[in-house]
Amino acid sequence: MRFGKVVERFIGLIPVLLGVSVIVFLMITLTPGDPVQIMLGDARSSPEQEAALRRDMGLDRPIHERFILFIANALRGEFGLSFFHRRPVIEVIGERLPATIELTLVALILALAIAIPLGVIAAVKRNSWLDRLSTVGSLFGVSLPGFWFGILLILLFSVKLGWFPVSGRIGFSAEVRAVTGLLLIDTLLAGRLDSFWQALRHISLPALTLALPMAAVLTRVTRSSMIEVLRTDYVLFAEAKGLRKARVIGLHALKNALIPTVTVAALETGSLLGGNMIVETVFGWPGLGRLVVEAIFSRNYPLVQAAVLLYAVTYVLLNFFADILYTWLNPKVRL
Amino acid sequence: MVAIHKTPKSGAMRHQIVLAVGAFAILAGAMGLAHAAGEIRVGFSQDAQTLDPGNHRNRETETIIRNLCDGILTRDPAMKVVPELAESIRQIDATTWEIKIRDGLKSHAGHPFTASDIKFNLDRLTKENALGGKTSPRQSLLGPLADSEVIDARTVRLKLSAPWAILPAMLPFQEMISEAHAKKVGDAALATSVDCVGPYKLVEWRRGDSVIMARDPGYYGGATAIPPVGPAKPDRVIFKIIPENSSRVAALLAGEVDIINELPPSAIKQVEASDRAQVMAVNGTRTFFVALNLAKKPFDDLRVRKALNHAVDRNLIIERILAGKATALNGVMSPDAFAFNDQLPAYAYDPALARKLLAEAGYPNGIELTIDTIGAFKSTAEAVAALLARSNIRAKVQVWEGAVLSPMWASAEKRAERDAYFNSWGNGALDPSDIMVPTLRTKGRGNFAGFSNARVDTLLDAAETEADQAKRAAMYKEAQAIVNAEAPWIFLWLPQDLYGVSKRLKGWRPSADARINLHDASVD
Repeated sequence: MRFGKVVERFIGLIPVLLGVSVIVFLMITLTPGDPVQIMLGDARSSPEQEAALRRDMGLDRPIHERFILFIANALRGEFGLSFFHRRPVIEVIGERLPATIELTLVALILALAIAIPLGVIAAVKRNSWLDRLSTVGSLFGVSLPGFWFGILLILLFSVKLGWFPVSGRIGFSAEVRAVTGLLLIDTLLAGRLDSFWQALRHISLPALTLALPMAAVLTRVTRSSMIEVLRTDYVLFAEAKGLRKARVIGLHALKNALIPTVTVAALETGSLLGGNMIVETVFGWPGLGRLVVEAIFSRNYPLVQAAVLLYAVTYVLLNFFADILYTWLNPKVRL
Repeated sequence: MVAIHKTPKSGAMRHQIVLAVGAFAILAGAMGLAHAAGEIRVGFSQDAQTLDPGNHRNRETETIIRNLCDGILTRDPAMKVVPELAESIRQIDATTWEIKIRDGLKSHAGHPFTASDIKFNLDRLTKENALGGKTSPRQSLLGPLADSEVIDARTVRLKLSAPWAILPAMLPFQEMISEAHAKKVGDAALATSVDCVGPYKLVEWRRGDSVIMARDPGYYGGATAIPPVGPAKPDRVIFKIIPENSSRVAALLAGEVDIINELPPSAIKQVEASDRAQVMAVNGTRTFFVALNLAKKPFDDLRVRKALNHAVDRNLIIERILAGKATALNGVMSPDAFAFNDQLPAYAYDPALARKLLAEAGYPNGIELTIDTIGAFKSTAEAVAALLARSNIRAKVQVWEGAVLSPMWASAEKRAERDAYFNSWGNGALDPSDIMVPTLRTKGRGNFAGFSNARVDTLLDAAETEADQAKRAAMYKEAQAIVNAEAPWIFLWLPQDLYGVSKRLKGWRPSADARINLHDASVD
């Protein structure tokens, strides 16, 4: 991709972010619900004390002032204090983001490791019982409710067999200095193999729960795309030249067939990075999804606004990287 | 995968995969599941919002902090208020209280803890803009406390702007931190940095995941009225955050945690059937009721409200849906609370009487109503609606988001077209002032029924300032009797708080204020 194109894409990010900011601000602000009342809960309080809280949260200002202030602060990278954590939202989000990134990456790797070989085999052995089995498997994977599947995994592997822990990211005895925030990497950097195993053990079940539905979708996409590519002239020509079938499939066909897979994987990764509230809740995974959903229910405006902006940036950037990958996979693609 | 079976090479590969998975699982099982002796783990439903005891308004946060930091006063297992950091507390006059704190108190970091620390904390909690330019969200929990004065190193005098009889009942909600530490690190850092006098010191707070604490060997021992007195027994205490009910139960059954809170009634049998754990229950502090919109017909008619009360078989719902873990109420107060009126007449389940009352009120064909509630209460609200149908009261349940529903019902204008609100209100102080004033005094912030009774208002106001506890109790009992007779609500029940508890845990019982204090607990 040309440098000019890269700059252009980045400039294109600005109106997207501005639009997202306006929509998020209006949606969360105009939704009924009062953070002050939520914070006070059942306790008694005087109107003066409620007013003081409202002032501290900046909710005593008119909505247009709050919006201008929000945009002005956002441009400086400030998103205010989380109403309930009473700390800067950037700090609160920053604490949770690495857990979500790590879970997403492991789930993505697992999903691709399952989906690409399975999709290719299903395409090559089209209409065979193996293909049908993968279709049924994919349907099953897509239909699995994460909540139910996660609980099943816990009951089997944690309660019955005792192989994996029910929740968390790492054991309590492990002390890992945060470098990347990704425990699987940080434990290796620290040379702590025991802690690495602990982290791997903790991430296994939630990653599997997330990976299976993603793998199901990616298997179907890879299969369809591979079938199409296998019908093209250049593949027929390569076979006619007498190249080994494995070489034709693995080297010539697969690269092109992966373009739709990359697109779908990028979209799926985007939604996972947004946090998967259900899986994070079931496995007590301290990620962003749980935090943001709690923030929405408690009308924690600053946190929701900052998190949604982060999602928007993530989505755009992931699609941007997917575009770059296209050009690598198929140099004929010009963006 | 199946194609792999066809060749010997593939068979070998399969063998290797099985071996790898098995080895991983065995290794995995061997590592980390071991539960260190002397370590208590709590599977807890919510993380702390902050570790600054003055800067939140959240019960779960308080439960966690309470294991780190003691308060001036606390409650014993029978919910009696007893001194903790204080040696004594006495009322000097209607608006002045004097607290004498223990001698020789030291924080985790070794800072002496004196009367000056108490004043520092109370100022943080009550003064405007005292938390780095913001006001503590806990300010209203200390009512008219206006100022405090250090008399000597162990004595501090509290000044109220008006008499307030429940000050001792409200002080256990506040944990005290070290003034020296707070001034050293600043207000913002107190969210994650703790130094105070308490049984455990903070080791690490893994946000969203766990709070790890270690025993403070220099701890003075806690409230003398709550034996055993001395440093905590376990080496470490860990609050492990597991928000999902089923996963919390699974963690208990897998032996990963020793206590879980908010055990769902549906999991009672599962826990009781296990070798590892048992169920413990204690009366909670949350009163359930259906507030009736008194400003709207037909709920403005006392006969209709009485009919609604006679039309609900509370005991049946408690038995079938709440697994018997609740106490039916005829009024607003918990049986464990101060000034509970145990002489209130019960509204017996009597559909025939309910229909008769409706007919007398001019509704021989019954009435229709919509009960608003939140998702968590849907099943019980639907059970109430189903029972009402037997008395010719056609009720439907409408589920709302909590953040929308309460503000709507708090406003007389917004609730004008609504009928009934299935709701609950907590009373952590176990004192009528804490629940009757907000929910039943005219224009109280939780007075969703719009109830207004001059005599009740007079009694509640007088009891607020009455120093003689016997007279206060009499006032509240009279107010409860009026509320019972006026029936602004369908009176429901007080659920028990349910806990799953490992059989290896000793010295711990659930407490009605929902705290999980682990000072006296130990493990085999």
